Parts: sequence; C-alpha cells; structure tokens
Amino acid sequence: MASSSSSGLTFKLHPLVILNISDHYTRIKAQSQPPPTSSAADDAVSSQPPPRVFGCVIGVQCGRTVEIFNSFELLYDPSTHTLDRAFLEKKQELYKKVFPHFYVLGWYSTGGDAQESDMHIHKALMEINESPVYVLLNPSINHAQKDLPITIYESELHVIDGIPQLIFVQSSYIIETVEAERISVDHVAHLKPSDGSSAATQLAAHLTGIHSAIKMLNSRIRVLHHYLLAMQKGDLPCQNSLLRQVSSLLRRLPAIESEKFQDDFLMEYNDTLLITYLAMFTNCSSTMNEMVDKFNTAYDRHSRRGGRSAFI
Amino acid sequence: MDPFSSAAIARQTWELENNIVTTTAANDNSAASDAIFYYDGAAQDAFQQEKPWANDPHYFKRVKVSALALLKMVVHARSGGNIEVMGLMQGKTDGDTIIVMDAFALPVEGTETRVNAQADAYEYMVDYSQTNRQAGRLENVVGWYHSHPGYGCWLSGIDVSTQMLNQQYQEPFLAVVIDPTRTVSAGKVEIGAFRTYPDGYKPPDEPVSEYQTIPLNKIEDFGVHCKQYYALDITYFKSSLDCELLDLLWNKYWVNTLSSSPLLGNGDYVAGQISDLAEKLEHAENQLSHSRFGPLIAPAQKKKEEESQLAKITRDSAKITVEQVHGLMSQVIKDILFNTVRQSNRSREESSGPEPMVET
Repeated sequence: MASSSSSGLTFKLHPLVILNISDHYTRIKAQSQPPPTSSAADDAVSSQPPPRVFGCVIGVQCGRTVEIFNSFELLYDPSTHTLDRAFLEKKQELYKKVFPHFYVLGWYSTGGDAQESDMHIHKALMEINESPVYVLLNPSINHAQKDLPITIYESELHVIDGIPQLIFVQSSYIIETVEAERISVDHVAHLKPSDGSSAATQLAAHLTGIHSAIKMLNSRIRVLHHYLLAMQKGDLPCQNSLLRQVSSLLRRLPAIESEKFQDDFLMEYNDTLLITYLAMFTNCSSTMNEMVDKFNTAYDRHSRRGGRSAFI
Repeated sequence: MDPFSSAAIARQTWELENNIVTTTAANDNSAASDAIFYYDGAAQDAFQQEKPWANDPHYFKRVKVSALALLKMVVHARSGGNIEVMGLMQGKTDGDTIIVMDAFALPVEGTETRVNAQADAYEYMVDYSQTNRQAGRLENVVGWYHSHPGYGCWLSGIDVSTQMLNQQYQEPFLAVVIDPTRTVSAGKVEIGAFRTYPDGYKPPDEPVSEYQTIPLNKIEDFGVHCKQYYALDITYFKSSLDCELLDLLWNKYWVNTLSSSPLLGNGDYVAGQISDLAEKLEHAENQLSHSRFGPLIAPAQKKKEEESQLAKITRDSAKITVEQVHGLMSQVIKDILFNTVRQSNRSREESSGPEPMVET
C-alpha cells in the first residue's frame, strides 16, 4: 500500500524527534516488562509483542518545506482506534506556550509497516491539519541495516477500483540539525569526555570529528566511483539520469572561486592569526611579569627590614 | 586489523585516560541497560521516606542524564538566543545518583529577578506533569535547569537562593546550568550540575573545580557565592534503541559536521569575549601600577593576586585563540577539499607526469 512518492514537499526531520520517539517506546516497553532480577531470566524476556506507541509531531511548514522540530506523546484507545482528542488539545496548548511558532504537523507511531487502522487516526488528524504526515519508526534493532528505520508517509487520494481512497505514500526526508543539536547528538553518540580541559584533547576531539566526516565523504565517493566504473565496463546498464546527477555534482566543484571570496577568506585567516599573535603576546608579557617579580623579590634593594638584604 | 597497531594502542590509551566504560552492546545486556528506564514507584517512595540526604549535605555525588534530556535542554537553551530560559527535569534517584530521564521547558522569560518565576510556572508544571503521567511518564520532577548564554556554568546569587529554597521544600532537587553559546563555540557541551550547601555549613576542603572564564561584569557575583554549592559529576546514558538510531543517524548528519562553520555563527560572542578580555587587562594593569608606586605597602600579597589575575587572563586568551583556530582549521580543510580541484587539474595539464595531488 505504500508506494513511493509524493507531492513535492521536502521533509526535514530533527534528531530530537527521533530520540523522543525512541525514548517513548523504550519507556513503555520497560514499564510493561519489569526488568529481570537475575541474568538467568533473560531467556524469558517478552512473550508478547512490544506495544505500539503513538504521539504527535509539531513543527513549521514554510512553503514546500515541512520541518519537524519536536514531538509529544498521545493517548491511544485501542478499542475504538482513536486518539484522545481532549488530551491532544491540552498538550498542544502547553507546548504552544513554550514554543509559540510550532503547530501540529502530523503524528508518529512505532511498528514495522503502516497498517490499515492507521488510516483512521490519520483521518482524525486531518481535522487539525489538512495534510498531516505520518512518521513511522521501526524499533526492531537490525544490525545489518544501514539506513535509519524511519519512514515518513503522506496521504494521497488515489482512485482504486473506481473508488477514491486515501492511501499512504512514502516520502523522502533529510535530517536537519541546528549547530547546538548536532554537538549534543555527537556528544552523546560518541560519549566524548566532558572535561576536555587540555588543549590537546580538545584539538583531538575536533579533528576526529572532521576526520570521520571526511572518511564518510570519501567512502561515498568511492561507491560512486565503483558504480561508474562498472557502468563503463558494461556490467551495469547505463542510467542516464544518474549520469546527469553525477555530472552536475562534479560541475559544482570548485565550490566558490571568486575574488571576493578569496579576499574574505584571507581576511578571516589573518584575523585568526592576529588573535593568535595577541594571545602569544599576552602569554609572553605575563611570563615576563612573573620573572620581573621574582627577580625583584630575589634581589630586593629596598627591603623594609632595613640594613643590607641577605641576598646578593 | 593488527591489534598492536599504533591506532589501536592510541585508542586504548585514550579510553583509559578518559575512563570510558564501553557498555558492551551484546544482546543479552540490552535488557539490563534498558532497565534504567523502568520506574519503580514503590522503591522511589520508600527512598523519599528515608531521606538520607537530610543528614549529609554532600550526599548526592553523581548525575546521570539521558540522551533525550540533554538534547532537549540544549535545544531549548539555544532557542532562547541571548535570553536566559529555564525548565524542569524529571527523573528519579538511585543511591547517591540523581537520574534525569526527561526535561521540559517552562514558559517563563528569563530576567535577573527569577526568584518568583517558579511561582508563575507552577500551573504549567502541574498540567504538564498530569498529562505526562497519563501518557506513561511516571517520574517526578527532580530538578530544574536554566541557561547562562555566554557567561559560563555556575550559580548566580539568585540561583543559589532559589536552589536553597528548593532544597528545603522539594528534596531531592538538582540545579543544572547550560551555556549554549559556549557549547557552539567550543564544539563540546557546556553543562554543570550543582547542589547548594545548607546555610552555615562549612564544606570540607574540596578539590578546585575546573577553571572557566567569567566575564568581568559577573565575576563578583560568581566569587561571592562560589563556596555555597558544589558540582556533581555528570555522565550520560542512552537506551539500546537510542544507540542504534544514533549510529545510523551519523550516516546522515556527517554532512552537517563537515559543513558547520563555528566562526560565522559565533562572531558576536567572540567579539564580546575579546572586549571583555581587554577590560580585564586594563583592570589588571591599573592594579599593577598602584602597587608599583607603593612597594613598601605589603607588596607580597597584592603581587600574588595580580600574578594570578594575569595568569587567568592568559588562560582566557589562550581559550579564545584555540576556539578560533579550530574554526579556521575547519574552514581551511573545506577550502582544500572543495576549492582546489581545478587548480590540480590545471597543474596536471601544464607539466607532464607530476604525481596527482588527489589520491585515487
């Protein structure tokens, strides 16, 4: 039922939403299954499938871009397959006070695939937002998986067997972070030492981050390279659309090549060098000051004790 | 991979130095590591009745913050820009550790007179806690957090009095301070967790906490109150699902890492820091000139103070420089990566047979 794509909207997802959903799921799972008191009980871990959790996602929509910033939990009534409307409105009010710019964009749930019953909830939410999004997180941990187990669905009106029906269609999304968000996600993901007090560890941490990012870039480019080589050899059928995309990518380099950029770049470079110079100066003068003080103490001619000082 | 390769040894040394305890992500352990998410209401109530902290002001020593709580707090703090924001944290206690599971923001504008802010926010807090409890979050409020944008993680005079009040009536309670501006400029999270001592309690000699630069206009406030509270160690934890997701998330946000430019984003802050440093320098210089005129008037003590002041200034300037240089490094790397392509091609055409500048 979920075929790909879309109405041309671009979706931007913030990592906070992902962590929110994951935390909600872990919490509910942990509450329903008290932790094993001994390690032997690990075998009898859950016999029933983990419960599904539901919630609402909020954010901003500017034109064709839908940016999902945050989310909160909702109450679900499994008998009537509906979400508690009063609860949703109460929560929405609370969140409006703190984040006045955000409004309800859709809802989320956990599970393997979108289900029929989800359409009821989706339609209920259409009263609040005319085209809500449905974010689905797959909580089963699959180590072989390379991609985020999150899918975003939109609803589209399709004519099937002569009857216009709403079905879910998958949309692509990109991960968007604010700088502070990125740093804290990085911090938690790699559990970096919080006290990087020495300059060496700070430098190491900073460069490691950049190094990992460049390694990723390198590996991605290699994949493209191999793919192109295979295409050239004839192992794979030629896909012109892909070739066009690669060629446009290559033509984007160099990223900027203008006089103005060079000037600004060198100016920034010089500013940093100037700051380094000043800091060095400060360091030197401070050391010098200390030395002069020590010298004065050691060779003090105007001692208050009167008479010759003992130090020569 | 050769287990004795230099890279492996370097990594092990680093892990040892920084006490990194890698929780083995084996499947049989995932249940245990997720056990922290289980809320045992009965055990928590029993702990509340016992009140072991009433006798020992230094009872709580550590704080464990969940990944979600950290992210929420940092994002909220950053969204406030230069205005202080505050919020509450929910969680539980575990022996001498306070565990923070979640955080939520309060709709209060930060001003210097924040003692009454919590009274305004009570209604919000009650509503929010109620709705949360219905949705399955059973933890109680266990602390409050607020941001000090640009001036470091410490408790101001008003913060100290607020926290002392909290520790009288709402125990166990924790105060957390986040500096979002310094987080972005330094590239690591600036956060501190504190508890105050009760009035009149003289703490035994405690180790000197990590030095941090405080702007001149706040340094008095800091100095007066810095002995009235102590800092707790902060560690972070995440669930097994979080681990998975964060690993996979890296596949997407490495782009943001490469494209981040801290120099551009924090220009104002750096300029502010430098002007503050200049003021401090002038201050130190004035003190210096005074003592030079009167060398007979107990020069020893004053000189010691100035020396440490000048040393502090040197440390501050070193810190600013290090951050700037890091930012510049990123810019230069990006420039080399993305801007020097055409030049290498050109050089290859001109002279035959040089070695290629780009590695294949």
